[in-house]
Amino acid sequence: MTLHPAGRSASADRSPVPGRRRHRIPGGIYLALVPTLGLIGFFGYYPDINGLIHSLTNWEPGFSSPFVGLGNYRAMWHDSLWWESFVHLGIIFVVAVTAMWVIPLAAAELLITLSRPRWRLFFRYLLIVPLAFSPVIQVLTWQFIYDPNVGVLNDFLGKVGLSVLENNWLGDPNTALWALIFINFPWVAGLPFLIFSIGLQNIPGEIFDAAAIDGAGRWKRFLAIDLPLLLRQVKLLFFLAVVFVLQYGFAPYIATQGGPDNATTVPVLRIVGVAFDAGEWGYAAALSTTLLLIMMLMSGLTLLAGRRRAPGGAR
Amino acid sequence: MAGAPTLPARVRTRPITPRRLTDLVAAAVLSCLAFVGLFPYLYMLETAVKSDSQFNSNEATPTWPLHFGNFATAWREVAPYLLSSIIVAACVMFGCILLGSVSGFVLARYRFPGRNFFFGLIALLLMVPNTASLIPLFVLMRDLGLLNSYPDLIIPQLTIQTVFSVVLMKTYIEHLPEELFDAAQIDGASPARTYWSITLPLARPIIGTVALFSVISVWSDYFWPELTIVTNSLRTVPVGVQFFQGQLTTSYGPLFAGYLIASLPLLILFVALAKNFLAGIEGGLALDR
Repeated sequence: MTLHPAGRSASADRSPVPGRRRHRIPGGIYLALVPTLGLIGFFGYYPDINGLIHSLTNWEPGFSSPFVGLGNYRAMWHDSLWWESFVHLGIIFVVAVTAMWVIPLAAAELLITLSRPRWRLFFRYLLIVPLAFSPVIQVLTWQFIYDPNVGVLNDFLGKVGLSVLENNWLGDPNTALWALIFINFPWVAGLPFLIFSIGLQNIPGEIFDAAAIDGAGRWKRFLAIDLPLLLRQVKLLFFLAVVFVLQYGFAPYIATQGGPDNATTVPVLRIVGVAFDAGEWGYAAALSTTLLLIMMLMSGLTLLAGRRRAPGGAR
Repeated sequence: MAGAPTLPARVRTRPITPRRLTDLVAAAVLSCLAFVGLFPYLYMLETAVKSDSQFNSNEATPTWPLHFGNFATAWREVAPYLLSSIIVAACVMFGCILLGSVSGFVLARYRFPGRNFFFGLIALLLMVPNTASLIPLFVLMRDLGLLNSYPDLIIPQLTIQTVFSVVLMKTYIEHLPEELFDAAQIDGASPARTYWSITLPLARPIIGTVALFSVISVWSDYFWPELTIVTNSLRTVPVGVQFFQGQLTTSYGPLFAGYLIASLPLLILFVALAKNFLAGIEGGLALDR
């Protein structure tokens, strides 16, 4: 009802000052933002700031918290387990930005190679089905696959005559971290695959046709066209990888508890352990604040680096 | 096309062109990837209908008869987790759609002092994931006396999802045709009316996306319920299935049946809203450019 005059009157209001068209600021605007800002202020910003302040104390929730200055941070500096946990994150990160991109990229390339749209749609859905399972169920299922006694992996190795390779995958310090990394292998059901395949789909068909006329083969096309165009998504993927890796924690918490022999400890696990097992809340707050600052620094750097590259790369 | 009797024969003997060969190879490799990716879930399905003795004597291949009774056993255990998750997901979904659409509408359609500042303040929280705030948030909820309750499950999720929802909705509403809003303004529609009669109906696709992401988030969040919930009936699916796994360590049939039941709501929603899911990611990519 309110829509039909659009055609006749829209131009009438195209006033001389374009930016000012949405003039008149009803006070209701601020009122409308209050619930959202209140929620994120109280449950988003306040805890983090409170944690930052209490990281300078010997925090005892519910009791007085004596000020200890940078004592917690000094303790963190000498906490070898804390830094070791970052080494584990480093390994996970390297895999997350190599193998966990290459396989999905290959899958996305194969997907657009299919000549029939219906097949593409079918395989795209088939490949992302695992996303619909709760990540905890994914980890529990893989924990079963790795089980030394009834696990599918050892069972399979035994059947093909490779029983020498049978292992207690999650219980052996040499393999535990890799077993965790290989959860959800081949890593196709995830954002990298979706981002690559959407990116490839959005490349106009004429570009491919032109390449074909010029006699570029499939591999050459990949190198000359697909890859440079996909590079635009790399900034976003890098950002997602940083967030994914720094938050990484529930899989080892469920499957290994950081063990064996701390081989799978990651920062989040260390923080939870310090707070809930050792009861050192001030120290846990210092570790949390440090992790938070690293996250913001890393993601900020990623976004900045992307922004600086963008104007040159787009042309 | 051709006469009916000759057609099948011709299809079967169609020469293998290079294009067809490429198709076949690509499809074969993709099938392998899909199979490896789906294998754990196929295995789960196969084991879910086995009795303990069937599992012990033959783990690898399907056995007869199928034991659907496992699903009944599992249902009794998993139902409370499903109920709790659905309650939490419904509240989070409703809340973040309401807050996100109102704030997104205001931020996208009005110019006012502080507009960019407020949006920046909200968007900045995208960079601060839940896990980094775990400790101070726990203390806050403890001080408020909310640990081990529905508000304890709902509020942190709602906060994160609202941030996400505002950013997606603002971007989407900004790209709606300007003329509609101009017309509404000329007709004297109040901001509330413009929000309710124009913005909300047009924003339906993005609302679907936000809804799906909020459910995925409830079905994924592990640490928070693990650390704050002790009452069994309050447990959401992620911590519930883990607890349930601890109870049924060697009874794999009912265990896997339970995993499947617990996954079902998300699976159904995912199939129904797959388009919204992809649209949300494309929206995120657009935001990135």
